[in-house]
Amino acid sequence: MGPGIEIGQVPRASLPINPTFQWSVGNWMDRFYDGLKEGKLWASKCPGCGRVHLPPRMVCERCFTKCEEWVELPETGTVQSYTVAHVKVGANGEFEELPQPEVIALVKQDGADTCVAARLEGGNASVGMKVKVVIDPEAENFVNMLAGYRPAE
Amino acid sequence: MRREVAIISYAQTPYEPDANASREMQVLRVAKAALAAAGLKQEDRYTVVTANNDYCDGRTISNMRLVEPAAAWMKNESKAEMDGAYAALYGLLRILSGDHDIALIIGESQASVYARWLPGIMMMDPTFDRQRWLLNEVSAAALQARAYMNAFGVSEEQVAGVAAKNLDNAALNPLAGNKLAGADAAKVLGSRKLYEPISEMMVAQYCDGACAMVIAAGELAEKAEKPVWIRGVGFAHDSYLTERSLEEMGSLKLAAEKAYAMAGISDPASQVDLAEVHENFAHEELMAYEALGFCGRGEGGAFFDSGATRRDGKLPVNTSGGAIGANVACATGLARIIEAAMQIRGEAGDHQVAKAKTAVATGQTGPCAQESVVFVLGGE
Repeated sequence: MGPGIEIGQVPRASLPINPTFQWSVGNWMDRFYDGLKEGKLWASKCPGCGRVHLPPRMVCERCFTKCEEWVELPETGTVQSYTVAHVKVGANGEFEELPQPEVIALVKQDGADTCVAARLEGGNASVGMKVKVVIDPEAENFVNMLAGYRPAE
Repeated sequence: MRREVAIISYAQTPYEPDANASREMQVLRVAKAALAAAGLKQEDRYTVVTANNDYCDGRTISNMRLVEPAAAWMKNESKAEMDGAYAALYGLLRILSGDHDIALIIGESQASVYARWLPGIMMMDPTFDRQRWLLNEVSAAALQARAYMNAFGVSEEQVAGVAAKNLDNAALNPLAGNKLAGADAAKVLGSRKLYEPISEMMVAQYCDGACAMVIAAGELAEKAEKPVWIRGVGFAHDSYLTERSLEEMGSLKLAAEKAYAMAGISDPASQVDLAEVHENFAHEELMAYEALGFCGRGEGGAFFDSGATRRDGKLPVNTSGGAIGANVACATGLARIIEAAMQIRGEAGDHQVAKAKTAVATGQTGPCAQESVVFVLGGE
Protein backbone atom coordinates (compact mmCIF):
# COMPACT_ATOMS: atom_id res chain seq x y z
CA MET A 1 0.00 0.00 0.00
CA GLY A 2 0.99 3.64 -0.15
CA PRO A 3 2.07 5.65 -3.16
CA GLY A 4 5.53 4.25 -3.70
CA ILE A 5 7.14 5.12 -0.38
CA GLU A 6 9.83 2.59 0.39
CA ILE A 7 10.53 1.56 3.94
CA GLY A 8 13.99 0.20 4.36
CA GLN A 9 16.32 -0.82 7.14
CA VAL A 10 16.22 1.70 9.94
CA PRO A 11 19.49 1.99 11.85
CA ARG A 12 18.75 1.69 15.54
CA ALA A 13 20.92 3.13 18.24
CA SER A 14 20.20 3.74 21.90
CA LEU A 15 19.75 7.45 22.54
CA PRO A 16 19.07 7.52 26.28
CA ILE A 17 17.61 10.40 28.24
CA ASN A 18 16.59 10.00 31.86
CA PRO A 19 14.60 12.94 33.16
CA THR A 20 13.96 13.00 36.92
CA PHE A 21 10.67 14.12 38.43
CA GLN A 22 10.13 15.47 41.92
CA TRP A 23 6.52 14.63 42.69
CA SER A 24 5.11 15.74 46.00
CA VAL A 25 2.68 13.29 47.56
CA GLY A 26 0.65 16.32 48.63
CA ASN A 27 -0.91 17.16 51.99
CA TRP A 28 -3.62 14.49 51.79
CA MET A 29 -1.32 11.57 51.02
CA ASP A 30 1.19 13.00 53.52
CA ARG A 31 -1.42 12.60 56.25
CA PHE A 32 -2.15 9.06 54.98
CA TYR A 33 1.52 8.08 55.18
CA ASP A 34 1.95 9.80 58.59
CA GLY A 35 -0.98 7.73 59.85
CA LEU A 36 0.59 4.49 58.63
CA LYS A 37 3.71 5.35 60.66
CA GLU A 38 1.46 5.12 63.74
CA GLY A 39 -0.31 2.00 62.46
CA LYS A 40 -3.45 3.95 61.54
CA LEU A 41 -5.53 4.22 58.36
CA TRP A 42 -6.74 7.72 57.61
CA ALA A 43 -9.23 8.28 54.80
CA SER A 44 -10.69 11.52 53.44
CA LYS A 45 -14.44 12.04 53.42
CA CYS A 46 -16.54 14.18 51.12
CA PRO A 47 -18.61 16.68 53.10
CA GLY A 48 -21.20 16.63 50.30
CA CYS A 49 -22.03 12.97 49.69
CA GLY A 50 -20.09 11.28 52.48
CA ARG A 51 -17.97 9.25 50.04
CA VAL A 52 -14.90 7.94 51.87
CA HIS A 53 -11.67 7.70 49.89
CA LEU A 54 -8.83 5.34 50.78
CA PRO A 55 -6.15 6.24 49.75
CA PRO A 56 -7.40 9.75 50.51
CA ARG A 57 -8.36 12.00 47.60
CA MET A 58 -8.43 15.79 47.79
CA VAL A 59 -11.48 16.28 45.59
CA CYS A 60 -14.69 14.23 45.39
CA GLU A 61 -15.41 13.48 41.74
CA ARG A 62 -19.10 13.00 42.48
CA CYS A 63 -19.63 16.36 44.21
CA PHE A 64 -16.85 18.55 42.79
CA THR A 65 -16.08 19.31 46.43
CA LYS A 66 -12.87 19.42 48.45
CA CYS A 67 -12.71 16.55 50.96
CA GLU A 68 -11.77 18.33 54.18
CA GLU A 69 -13.06 15.70 56.63
CA TRP A 70 -10.97 12.78 57.89
CA VAL A 71 -12.05 9.41 59.24
CA GLU A 72 -9.97 6.65 60.80
CA LEU A 73 -10.86 3.25 59.33
CA PRO A 74 -10.77 -0.16 61.04
CA GLU A 75 -8.21 -2.79 60.07
CA THR A 76 -10.79 -5.00 58.36
CA GLY A 77 -11.89 -5.03 54.76
CA THR A 78 -13.35 -7.19 51.97
CA VAL A 79 -11.73 -8.51 48.80
CA GLN A 80 -13.55 -7.03 45.78
CA SER A 81 -11.35 -8.76 43.21
CA TYR A 82 -7.94 -10.39 42.95
CA THR A 83 -5.41 -11.78 40.53
CA VAL A 84 -2.70 -14.41 40.91
CA ALA A 85 0.39 -12.74 39.51
CA HIS A 86 2.92 -14.97 37.75
CA VAL A 87 4.98 -12.10 36.42
CA LYS A 88 6.02 -8.53 37.09
CA VAL A 89 7.12 -5.77 34.76
CA GLY A 90 10.91 -5.57 34.64
CA ALA A 91 12.96 -2.41 34.21
CA ASN A 92 13.03 -3.03 30.45
CA GLY A 93 9.23 -2.98 30.28
CA GLU A 94 8.87 -6.72 29.57
CA PHE A 95 7.28 -9.30 31.84
CA GLU A 96 9.61 -11.43 33.94
CA GLU A 97 8.58 -14.51 35.92
CA LEU A 98 8.15 -14.19 39.67
CA PRO A 99 9.99 -16.84 41.73
CA GLN A 100 6.63 -17.63 43.37
CA PRO A 101 3.18 -16.52 42.20
CA GLU A 102 1.64 -13.88 44.47
CA VAL A 103 -1.90 -12.63 44.99
CA ILE A 104 -2.73 -8.99 44.27
CA ALA A 105 -6.10 -8.07 45.73
CA LEU A 106 -8.43 -5.13 45.37
CA VAL A 107 -9.66 -4.51 48.91
CA LYS A 108 -12.45 -2.24 50.11
CA GLN A 109 -11.66 -1.26 53.68
CA ASP A 110 -14.70 -1.34 55.96
CA GLY A 111 -16.12 2.18 55.93
CA ALA A 112 -14.47 3.14 52.62
CA ASP A 113 -16.07 3.57 49.20
CA THR A 114 -12.90 3.12 47.15
CA CYS A 115 -10.35 0.31 46.97
CA VAL A 116 -6.68 -0.35 47.63
CA ALA A 117 -4.61 -2.64 45.41
CA ALA A 118 -2.18 -4.60 47.59
CA ARG A 119 -0.55 -8.00 48.10
CA LEU A 120 -2.63 -10.60 49.92
CA GLU A 121 -0.76 -13.09 52.11
CA GLY A 122 -1.64 -16.74 52.42
CA GLY A 123 -1.89 -17.82 48.79
CA ASN A 124 -5.68 -18.14 48.72
CA ALA A 125 -8.18 -15.52 47.67
CA SER A 126 -11.84 -15.22 46.83
CA VAL A 127 -14.17 -12.35 46.11
CA GLY A 128 -15.96 -11.42 49.34
CA MET A 129 -13.16 -12.74 51.55
CA LYS A 130 -12.67 -10.85 54.82
CA VAL A 131 -9.14 -9.54 55.31
CA LYS A 132 -7.08 -7.44 57.72
CA VAL A 133 -4.56 -4.79 56.74
CA VAL A 134 -0.87 -5.37 57.37
CA ILE A 135 0.96 -2.16 58.18
CA ASP A 136 4.74 -1.95 58.29
CA PRO A 137 5.84 1.44 59.65
CA GLU A 138 9.47 0.36 59.15
CA ALA A 139 9.08 -0.29 55.39
CA GLU A 140 12.22 0.63 53.48
CA ASN A 141 10.16 2.66 51.01
CA PHE A 142 7.41 4.65 52.73
CA VAL A 143 4.90 3.93 49.92
CA ASN A 144 4.95 0.29 51.08
CA MET A 145 4.00 0.97 54.71
CA LEU A 146 0.58 -0.32 53.72
CA ALA A 147 2.30 -3.66 53.15
CA GLY A 148 -0.75 -5.67 52.21
CA TYR A 149 -3.54 -7.79 53.67
CA ARG A 150 -3.92 -11.17 55.38
CA PRO A 151 -6.99 -13.36 55.83
CA ALA A 152 -9.12 -12.16 58.78
CA GLU A 153 -9.69 -15.70 60.09
CA MET B 1 -25.90 15.99 14.29
CA ARG B 2 -25.67 19.68 13.34
CA ARG B 3 -23.98 18.85 10.03
CA GLU B 4 -23.85 15.68 7.95
CA VAL B 5 -20.27 14.44 8.25
CA ALA B 6 -18.90 11.47 6.32
CA ILE B 7 -15.79 9.32 6.27
CA ILE B 8 -14.36 9.90 2.78
CA SER B 9 -11.14 7.88 2.74
CA TYR B 10 -8.72 5.92 4.91
CA ALA B 11 -5.38 4.15 4.88
CA GLN B 12 -3.58 1.78 7.22
CA THR B 13 -0.04 0.40 7.38
CA PRO B 14 0.44 -3.26 8.14
CA TYR B 15 0.51 -3.72 11.92
CA GLU B 16 3.55 -5.68 13.04
CA PRO B 17 5.76 -6.11 16.11
CA ASP B 18 8.63 -4.25 14.46
CA ALA B 19 7.89 -2.38 11.25
CA ASN B 20 11.59 -1.59 10.84
CA ALA B 21 10.48 1.86 9.76
CA SER B 22 10.55 5.34 11.23
CA ARG B 23 7.22 6.63 12.49
CA GLU B 24 7.58 9.59 10.14
CA MET B 25 7.62 7.24 7.13
CA GLN B 26 4.67 5.28 8.49
CA VAL B 27 2.66 8.48 8.94
CA LEU B 28 3.74 9.79 5.52
CA ARG B 29 2.45 6.61 3.88
CA VAL B 30 -1.01 6.73 5.40
CA ALA B 31 -1.41 10.51 5.19
CA LYS B 32 -0.48 10.56 1.48
CA ALA B 33 -2.73 7.61 0.72
CA ALA B 34 -5.74 8.99 2.63
CA LEU B 35 -5.42 12.49 1.14
CA ALA B 36 -4.96 11.08 -2.39
CA ALA B 37 -7.99 8.81 -2.05
CA ALA B 38 -10.04 11.83 -0.96
CA GLY B 39 -8.78 13.83 -3.96
CA LEU B 40 -7.03 16.32 -1.68
CA LYS B 41 -3.68 18.11 -1.95
CA GLN B 42 -1.64 19.74 0.78
CA GLU B 43 -2.61 23.20 -0.46
CA ASP B 44 -6.29 22.44 0.13
CA ARG B 45 -7.97 23.72 3.28
CA TYR B 46 -8.32 21.08 6.01
CA THR B 47 -7.63 20.65 9.71
CA VAL B 48 -5.35 17.91 11.11
CA VAL B 49 -5.71 15.99 14.37
CA THR B 50 -3.16 13.35 15.28
CA ALA B 51 -3.21 10.85 18.14
CA ASN B 52 0.13 10.01 19.72
CA ASN B 53 1.74 9.84 23.11
CA ASP B 54 4.76 11.65 24.49
CA TYR B 55 5.84 8.72 26.61
CA CYS B 56 5.52 6.17 23.78
CA ASP B 57 7.32 8.41 21.34
CA GLY B 58 10.03 9.38 23.84
CA ARG B 59 9.64 13.12 23.36
CA THR B 60 7.39 15.83 24.66
CA ILE B 61 4.95 17.39 22.23
CA SER B 62 5.21 14.17 20.25
CA ASN B 63 3.33 15.62 17.26
CA MET B 64 6.01 18.29 16.76
CA ARG B 65 7.99 16.52 14.04
CA LEU B 66 4.88 14.92 12.61
CA VAL B 67 3.91 18.25 11.09
CA GLU B 68 5.79 17.33 7.87
CA PRO B 69 4.56 13.76 7.21
CA ALA B 70 1.07 14.61 8.50
CA ALA B 71 0.72 17.31 5.82
CA ALA B 72 0.06 19.75 8.64
CA TRP B 73 2.56 22.53 7.96
CA MET B 74 0.93 25.89 8.70
CA LYS B 75 -2.42 24.16 9.14
CA ASN B 76 -4.83 24.18 12.04
CA GLU B 77 -3.22 21.14 13.74
CA SER B 78 -3.18 19.61 17.19
CA LYS B 79 -3.10 16.21 18.82
CA ALA B 80 -5.05 13.99 21.16
CA GLU B 81 -2.73 12.30 23.67
CA MET B 82 -5.20 9.44 23.73
CA ASP B 83 -6.65 6.72 21.59
CA GLY B 84 -7.08 7.61 17.92
CA ALA B 85 -10.87 7.49 18.18
CA TYR B 86 -10.52 10.70 20.20
CA ALA B 87 -8.60 12.32 17.35
CA ALA B 88 -11.55 11.39 15.13
CA LEU B 89 -13.90 12.89 17.71
CA TYR B 90 -11.96 16.18 17.86
CA GLY B 91 -11.81 16.38 14.07
CA LEU B 92 -15.55 15.79 13.95
CA LEU B 93 -16.13 18.56 16.52
CA ARG B 94 -14.08 21.01 14.43
CA ILE B 95 -16.24 20.25 11.42
CA LEU B 96 -19.43 20.52 13.47
CA SER B 97 -18.27 23.95 14.65
CA GLY B 98 -18.64 25.10 11.03
CA ASP B 99 -15.08 26.45 10.85
CA HIS B 100 -13.81 23.48 8.85
CA ASP B 101 -15.28 21.18 6.22
CA ILE B 102 -12.47 18.63 6.08
CA ALA B 103 -10.32 16.92 8.71
CA LEU B 104 -7.35 14.58 8.33
CA ILE B 105 -7.14 12.20 11.31
CA ILE B 106 -3.99 10.19 12.09
CA GLY B 107 -3.06 7.70 14.82
CA GLU B 108 0.36 6.15 15.34
CA SER B 109 2.91 4.63 17.69
CA GLN B 110 5.70 2.07 17.66
CA ALA B 111 5.91 -0.61 20.33
CA SER B 112 9.35 -1.55 19.00
CA VAL B 113 10.59 1.78 20.32
CA TYR B 114 9.15 2.16 23.83
CA ALA B 115 9.50 -0.21 26.80
CA ARG B 116 6.30 -2.15 26.23
CA TRP B 117 4.51 -2.18 29.60
CA LEU B 118 6.07 0.91 31.21
CA PRO B 119 3.73 3.55 29.74
CA GLY B 120 0.81 1.74 31.40
CA ILE B 121 2.50 1.93 34.78
CA MET B 122 2.97 5.66 34.21
CA MET B 123 -0.84 5.93 34.02
CA MET B 124 -1.23 4.79 37.62
CA ASP B 125 -1.58 7.08 40.65
CA PRO B 126 1.94 8.56 41.05
CA THR B 127 1.58 9.04 44.81
CA PHE B 128 0.69 5.41 45.52
CA ASP B 129 0.04 2.72 42.89
CA ARG B 130 2.80 3.67 40.49
CA GLN B 131 5.41 3.53 43.24
CA ARG B 132 4.22 0.16 44.52
CA TRP B 133 4.66 -1.48 41.08
CA LEU B 134 1.73 -3.90 41.50
CA LEU B 135 -0.67 -2.28 39.04
CA ASN B 136 0.06 -2.21 35.34
CA GLU B 137 -2.32 -2.47 32.39
CA VAL B 138 -2.46 -6.25 32.57
CA SER B 139 -2.71 -6.71 36.35
CA ALA B 140 -5.38 -3.99 36.47
CA ALA B 141 -7.28 -5.69 33.65
CA ALA B 142 -7.02 -9.01 35.51
CA LEU B 143 -8.71 -7.40 38.53
CA GLN B 144 -11.50 -6.21 36.24
CA ALA B 145 -11.76 -9.60 34.52
CA ARG B 146 -12.11 -11.41 37.86
CA ALA B 147 -14.65 -8.90 39.18
CA TYR B 148 -16.76 -9.22 36.03
CA MET B 149 -16.48 -13.00 35.71
CA ASN B 150 -17.27 -13.52 39.40
CA ALA B 151 -20.28 -11.20 39.30
CA PHE B 152 -21.92 -12.88 36.33
CA GLY B 153 -20.54 -16.43 36.24
CA VAL B 154 -18.54 -15.87 33.06
CA SER B 155 -16.06 -18.72 32.45
CA GLU B 156 -12.41 -18.64 31.46
CA GLU B 157 -13.39 -20.69 28.40
CA GLN B 158 -15.75 -17.93 27.27
CA VAL B 159 -13.04 -15.28 27.68
CA ALA B 160 -10.51 -17.48 25.88
CA GLY B 161 -13.08 -18.09 23.16
CA VAL B 162 -13.19 -14.37 22.37
CA ALA B 163 -9.41 -14.27 21.98
CA ALA B 164 -9.53 -17.35 19.74
CA LYS B 165 -12.29 -15.79 17.60
CA ASN B 166 -10.33 -12.58 17.11
CA LEU B 167 -7.02 -14.35 16.37
CA ASP B 168 -8.84 -16.51 13.82
CA ASN B 169 -10.56 -13.46 12.29
CA ALA B 170 -7.19 -11.69 12.09
CA ALA B 171 -5.91 -14.50 9.89
CA LEU B 172 -8.19 -13.10 7.14
CA ASN B 173 -6.95 -9.54 7.63
CA PRO B 174 -3.72 -8.97 5.70
CA LEU B 175 -2.81 -5.97 7.88
CA ALA B 176 -3.17 -7.71 11.26
CA GLY B 177 0.11 -8.83 12.80
CA ASN B 178 -1.18 -11.11 15.55
CA LYS B 179 -3.14 -13.94 13.98
CA LEU B 180 -3.77 -17.67 14.26
CA ALA B 181 -6.14 -19.44 11.90
CA GLY B 182 -8.17 -22.06 13.71
CA ALA B 183 -7.24 -20.79 17.19
CA ASP B 184 -9.35 -22.34 19.95
CA ALA B 185 -10.02 -21.64 23.61
CA ALA B 186 -7.78 -24.49 24.79
CA LYS B 187 -4.81 -23.02 22.96
CA VAL B 188 -5.46 -19.59 24.50
CA LEU B 189 -5.86 -21.05 28.00
CA GLY B 190 -2.58 -22.93 27.57
CA SER B 191 -0.60 -19.80 26.73
CA ARG B 192 1.77 -18.18 29.24
CA LYS B 193 0.05 -17.22 32.50
CA LEU B 194 0.51 -13.53 33.26
CA TYR B 195 -2.05 -12.37 35.79
CA GLU B 196 -4.85 -14.90 36.28
CA PRO B 197 -7.35 -15.14 34.70
CA ILE B 198 -5.40 -13.41 31.91
CA SER B 199 -2.97 -15.43 29.82
CA GLU B 200 -0.75 -14.06 27.09
CA MET B 201 -3.05 -14.80 24.14
CA MET B 202 -5.92 -12.88 25.76
CA VAL B 203 -3.84 -9.68 25.57
CA ALA B 204 -3.92 -7.24 22.67
CA GLN B 205 -0.15 -7.15 22.15
CA TYR B 206 1.25 -3.76 21.24
CA CYS B 207 2.83 -3.35 17.82
CA ASP B 208 3.98 -0.72 15.30
CA GLY B 209 1.75 1.04 12.83
CA ALA B 210 -0.21 4.07 11.70
CA CYS B 211 -3.58 4.79 10.16
CA ALA B 212 -5.28 7.84 8.70
CA MET B 213 -8.79 8.88 7.76
CA VAL B 214 -10.35 11.88 6.04
CA ILE B 215 -13.76 13.06 7.24
CA ALA B 216 -15.73 15.85 5.62
CA ALA B 217 -18.95 17.80 5.45
CA GLY B 218 -20.24 19.93 2.61
CA GLU B 219 -19.14 19.60 -1.00
CA LEU B 220 -16.52 16.88 -0.54
CA ALA B 221 -18.98 14.70 1.38
CA GLU B 222 -21.81 15.29 -1.09
CA LYS B 223 -19.64 14.40 -4.09
CA ALA B 224 -17.94 11.39 -2.46
CA GLU B 225 -18.50 8.05 -4.17
CA LYS B 226 -19.14 5.91 -1.12
CA PRO B 227 -19.47 8.19 1.90
CA VAL B 228 -19.82 6.52 5.29
CA TRP B 229 -21.92 8.85 7.40
CA ILE B 230 -21.22 9.50 11.07
CA ARG B 231 -24.73 9.07 12.51
CA GLY B 232 -23.90 9.41 16.17
CA VAL B 233 -21.06 9.88 18.60
CA GLY B 234 -20.74 9.73 22.37
CA PHE B 235 -17.94 9.83 24.90
CA ALA B 236 -17.58 9.59 28.66
CA HIS B 237 -14.92 9.49 31.35
CA ASP B 238 -15.26 7.22 34.41
CA SER B 239 -13.32 7.10 37.70
CA TYR B 240 -9.78 5.81 38.24
CA LEU B 241 -9.91 2.02 38.37
CA THR B 242 -9.73 1.59 42.16
CA GLU B 243 -12.56 4.05 42.69
CA ARG B 244 -15.37 2.45 40.66
CA SER B 245 -17.14 -0.85 40.21
CA LEU B 246 -15.17 -2.93 37.74
CA GLU B 247 -18.09 -5.22 36.96
CA GLU B 248 -19.21 -3.13 34.01
CA MET B 249 -17.80 -0.65 31.52
CA GLY B 250 -19.54 2.46 32.76
CA SER B 251 -17.93 4.95 30.40
CA LEU B 252 -18.61 2.78 27.35
CA LYS B 253 -22.24 2.28 28.37
CA LEU B 254 -22.85 6.01 28.76
CA ALA B 255 -20.98 6.84 25.54
CA ALA B 256 -23.06 4.26 23.66
CA GLU B 257 -26.33 5.61 25.03
CA LYS B 258 -25.43 9.10 23.83
CA ALA B 259 -24.30 7.88 20.39
CA TYR B 260 -27.43 5.74 19.93
CA ALA B 261 -29.71 8.63 20.91
CA MET B 262 -28.02 10.83 18.30
CA ALA B 263 -28.26 8.10 15.65
CA GLY B 264 -31.88 7.28 16.44
CA ILE B 265 -31.07 3.73 17.52
CA SER B 266 -33.43 2.36 20.15
CA ASP B 267 -32.67 -1.37 19.87
CA PRO B 268 -28.97 -1.82 19.09
CA ALA B 269 -29.19 -5.63 19.13
CA SER B 270 -31.43 -5.56 16.06
CA GLN B 271 -30.42 -2.25 14.45
CA VAL B 272 -26.63 -2.64 14.49
CA ASP B 273 -25.21 -4.96 11.82
CA LEU B 274 -21.57 -5.04 12.88
CA ALA B 275 -19.22 -3.74 15.55
CA GLU B 276 -15.51 -3.06 15.76
CA VAL B 277 -14.68 -2.91 19.45
CA HIS B 278 -11.42 -1.71 21.01
CA GLU B 279 -10.76 -4.66 23.33
CA ASN B 280 -7.36 -4.45 25.01
CA PHE B 281 -8.13 -7.84 26.58
CA ALA B 282 -10.52 -10.63 25.59
CA HIS B 283 -12.87 -10.14 28.55
CA GLU B 284 -13.34 -6.50 27.57
CA GLU B 285 -15.14 -7.59 24.41
CA LEU B 286 -17.67 -9.56 26.48
CA MET B 287 -18.17 -6.53 28.71
CA ALA B 288 -18.54 -4.34 25.62
CA TYR B 289 -21.39 -6.52 24.30
CA GLU B 290 -23.28 -5.52 27.43
CA ALA B 291 -22.26 -1.85 27.48
CA LEU B 292 -23.19 -1.50 23.80
CA GLY B 293 -26.62 -3.01 24.45
CA PHE B 294 -26.12 -6.07 22.25
CA CYS B 295 -27.29 -8.20 25.20
CA GLY B 296 -28.42 -7.66 28.77
CA ARG B 297 -26.24 -6.97 31.80
CA GLY B 298 -24.22 -10.05 32.71
CA GLU B 299 -25.18 -11.84 29.49
CA GLY B 300 -21.93 -11.23 27.58
CA GLY B 301 -20.72 -14.81 27.95
CA ALA B 302 -24.00 -16.34 26.84
CA PHE B 303 -24.22 -13.88 23.93
CA PHE B 304 -20.76 -14.98 22.80
CA ASP B 305 -21.75 -18.67 23.13
CA SER B 306 -24.75 -18.01 20.86
CA GLY B 307 -22.31 -17.38 18.01
CA ALA B 308 -23.89 -14.01 17.26
CA THR B 309 -20.55 -12.19 17.20
CA ARG B 310 -18.73 -14.61 14.89
CA ARG B 311 -18.01 -13.67 11.26
CA ASP B 312 -21.19 -15.40 10.11
CA GLY B 313 -23.26 -14.39 13.14
CA LYS B 314 -26.12 -11.90 13.28
CA LEU B 315 -23.92 -9.20 14.84
CA PRO B 316 -20.27 -9.86 13.95
CA VAL B 317 -17.77 -8.20 16.30
CA ASN B 318 -14.15 -7.57 15.39
CA THR B 319 -14.14 -9.37 12.07
CA SER B 320 -10.83 -7.57 11.51
CA GLY B 321 -9.33 -9.37 14.51
CA GLY B 322 -9.87 -6.31 16.70
CA ALA B 323 -7.16 -5.02 18.98
CA ILE B 324 -6.07 -8.59 19.72
CA GLY B 325 -5.24 -8.85 16.02
CA ALA B 326 -3.35 -5.55 15.97
CA ASN B 327 -2.89 -3.08 18.79
CA VAL B 328 -1.11 0.19 18.10
CA ALA B 329 -1.34 2.51 21.09
CA CYS B 330 -3.07 5.74 19.95
CA ALA B 331 -4.22 4.15 16.67
CA THR B 332 -6.32 1.15 17.70
CA GLY B 333 -9.66 2.95 18.16
CA LEU B 334 -9.18 4.87 14.92
CA ALA B 335 -8.45 1.56 13.17
CA ARG B 336 -11.78 0.26 14.57
CA ILE B 337 -13.60 3.20 12.92
CA ILE B 338 -11.72 2.59 9.66
CA GLU B 339 -12.48 -1.14 9.71
CA ALA B 340 -16.17 -0.46 10.35
CA ALA B 341 -16.20 2.01 7.45
CA MET B 342 -14.47 -0.56 5.23
CA GLN B 343 -17.23 -3.05 6.01
CA ILE B 344 -19.96 -0.53 5.14
CA ARG B 345 -18.23 0.27 1.85
CA GLY B 346 -17.74 -3.41 1.07
CA GLU B 347 -13.97 -3.00 0.95
CA ALA B 348 -12.99 -5.40 3.74
CA GLY B 349 -11.77 -8.14 1.41
CA ASP B 350 -11.53 -11.60 2.94
CA HIS B 351 -13.10 -10.48 6.21
CA GLN B 352 -16.04 -8.68 4.57
CA VAL B 353 -19.42 -9.61 6.11
CA ALA B 354 -22.63 -9.99 4.12
CA LYS B 355 -24.61 -7.16 5.68
CA ALA B 356 -23.02 -4.04 7.12
CA LYS B 357 -25.35 -1.09 6.73
CA THR B 358 -25.08 0.23 10.27
CA ALA B 359 -21.90 -0.28 12.28
CA VAL B 360 -20.57 0.68 15.69
CA ALA B 361 -16.90 1.40 16.46
CA THR B 362 -15.36 2.09 19.87
CA GLY B 363 -12.13 3.46 21.28
CA GLN B 364 -10.79 3.57 24.81
CA THR B 365 -8.06 5.19 26.89
CA GLY B 366 -6.88 4.57 30.44
CA PRO B 367 -6.67 1.53 32.71
CA CYS B 368 -9.72 -0.75 32.61
CA ALA B 369 -11.34 1.32 29.85
CA GLN B 370 -11.60 4.43 32.00
CA GLU B 371 -12.58 6.61 29.03
CA SER B 372 -14.60 5.52 26.03
CA VAL B 373 -15.80 6.91 22.73
CA VAL B 374 -18.44 5.38 20.48
CA PHE B 375 -19.12 6.08 16.80
CA VAL B 376 -22.25 4.94 14.97
CA LEU B 377 -21.67 4.77 11.21
CA GLY B 378 -24.06 4.24 8.34
CA GLY B 379 -24.01 3.89 4.56
CA GLU B 380 -26.32 5.51 2.08
